[in-house]
Amino acid sequence: MSKELIRLKNLVMEFDGERILDNINLYINDHEFLTLLGPSGCGKTTTLRIIGGFLTPTSGDVLFDGARMNDVPPYKRQINTVFQRYALFPHLDVYDNIAFGLRISKLPKDEIHRRVTEMLEIVSLKGYETRKITSLSGGQQQRVAIARALVNQPKVLLLDEPLGALDLRLRKDMQNELKRIQQAMGITFIYVTHDQEEALAMSDTIVVMDKGRIQQIGRPEDIYNEPKNAFVADFIGESNILDGVMLDDCLVKFFGRSFTCVDKGFAKNEPVDVVIRPEDIDIVEPQLGHLTGTVTSVTFKGLNYDIIVDFKGFKWLIQTTDYHPVDAVIGIRLNPEDIHVMKKSEYSGQFGDYSSYSAEYDELTEDAADEEE
Amino acid sequence: MKRNKHLLSGTFLLTAPYIVWMIIFILIPLGVVVFYALTDSVTGMFTLGNLSKVFTGAFPKVFGRSVWYSLVASAICLLIGYPVAYFIARQKPSTQRILYMLVMLPMCMSFLLRTLAWVGILRDTGILNTLLGKIGIGPLHLIRTNGAVILGMVYNYLPYMIMPLYTVIMKIDPLLIEAAEDLGCSSRHVFTKVVLPLSLPGIISGVTMVFVPAVSTFYISQKLGSTSTTMIGDVIESQFKSANNPNLGAALSLVLMVLIFICVGIMNRFAGKDNEGGVVV
Repeated sequence: MSKELIRLKNLVMEFDGERILDNINLYINDHEFLTLLGPSGCGKTTTLRIIGGFLTPTSGDVLFDGARMNDVPPYKRQINTVFQRYALFPHLDVYDNIAFGLRISKLPKDEIHRRVTEMLEIVSLKGYETRKITSLSGGQQQRVAIARALVNQPKVLLLDEPLGALDLRLRKDMQNELKRIQQAMGITFIYVTHDQEEALAMSDTIVVMDKGRIQQIGRPEDIYNEPKNAFVADFIGESNILDGVMLDDCLVKFFGRSFTCVDKGFAKNEPVDVVIRPEDIDIVEPQLGHLTGTVTSVTFKGLNYDIIVDFKGFKWLIQTTDYHPVDAVIGIRLNPEDIHVMKKSEYSGQFGDYSSYSAEYDELTEDAADEEE
Repeated sequence: MKRNKHLLSGTFLLTAPYIVWMIIFILIPLGVVVFYALTDSVTGMFTLGNLSKVFTGAFPKVFGRSVWYSLVASAICLLIGYPVAYFIARQKPSTQRILYMLVMLPMCMSFLLRTLAWVGILRDTGILNTLLGKIGIGPLHLIRTNGAVILGMVYNYLPYMIMPLYTVIMKIDPLLIEAAEDLGCSSRHVFTKVVLPLSLPGIISGVTMVFVPAVSTFYISQKLGSTSTTMIGDVIESQFKSANNPNLGAALSLVLMVLIFICVGIMNRFAGKDNEGGVVV
């Protein structure tokens, strides 16, 4: 991609002695759509607020085009923000809200009018100029907030879970809309979310965060296909994570059986975490399978069935379009590229076992993420 | 339909005590005032004489003075009260409660006593002049001036300004201030473009709550002012108590009421259509 725009160097943030950000190092390129992704309390919003200038880091530097920005107040930064709860001005109508920034920078009236009108068109709110903010729906308020930020033609747009309050349908539409606007205007977007699907769908680069640390940086495909540790594997999509031993390059052993894989560069007999995505698993007749197990639960999900299969006491999640009833014995086959090997980490053993699976697992993770302020 | 009727009668039952209260203590007395204002003090016959008397002699001047002093007092209360309210609203909740209580505390003391205390402070041999004498200034003539009357008003009614301002400022979402900064506002612009417009309902409420009691106040001028600072409230009081002309007193009250309505109406105009948090007196 193009040149580097923002760099965070050894960023540390502490509140009341509690470490919120632990040594964050990150660079963001011009025109990039970068997403900070993680569960509540992972430090993603704090990172965004530091970039926006609303917080000063305890230590470390924020560089913008190579210049140190730590103590530059928000109003002097070429950055605009779309806030989580929109933060539209209730005493102004739609037009005045969008024109706010332009009026502060004392632009000529006709230019303000031209840019606001153009912006209203981009966010499909033409004809809403004189509407009161309180009379708008959530989605409309959201678009006013985006227009109010973008009309200033910032170099960087910060978005703090901007779609969190919208319903699923609208959220999907707005995701496409945001991506389109970002590409059309060529602005760097830094996007904060706890929604992994949203991150995968929109981003050029995803930064997965947890406990104030960056867990992995990469393109959506890399993050999904080559997770660095059990946390990333579990947070991005569904994963079965097993204990394994790396016998040799491209040869890993788990469940008492060795499998050919595509990963290299581990020590001989190094203990590792093995990730197998539920959609990668091929179900075959029991006698043809690498492993055989018993179906213990079936949930219809629309596109597919989520089935939980017991392999010698370890329960896997498998996604399949074919129906397999409870208590059926099935065999599975794993292709080398379906097996992802990761180094052991502090997260090993915490994730990836579906023994406590319930049909609500999706909702549970969403609830937990909703608690973020 | 039957259900609706039921609901209606239920609502009526709940509001009935207040309606009765309003009739006995607001509407009937108001009728009495109007009756007195429109009848002759001697003959008891209908007359417009009392009302026309209001617009003669020294009365218009006293009316004008009352309105003027009250406006000045309201303005001073706003200038003092706004920063105080802003400061309180920006503290942490526990500190806010303590400061708010301190603002309210003087109101627990009798209005008359508070005004009398200022006599002791301001008079020529009072506390202030004694202190000033110690550092070689004065004695200054402080009491029986229009300044003293306005001071008395400001002191007594300041909490009524701070209360609504504090409530409104406290409710301003800090995120809006961040949003304004984000859109290029320096702290001065944040105040003039966001905080001040959003606290306008509180300003209107505060000014109304100071102006209305101040314009009809009595006693303050009697104790802190002179004959040249007499307020309309004092004149009305004297009509009932010493001059023994309740009919003229009632006429003066009626005109004062209309005057207050006009002033409040003008002020509410400033608040615009959706005057949330504004007080209609």
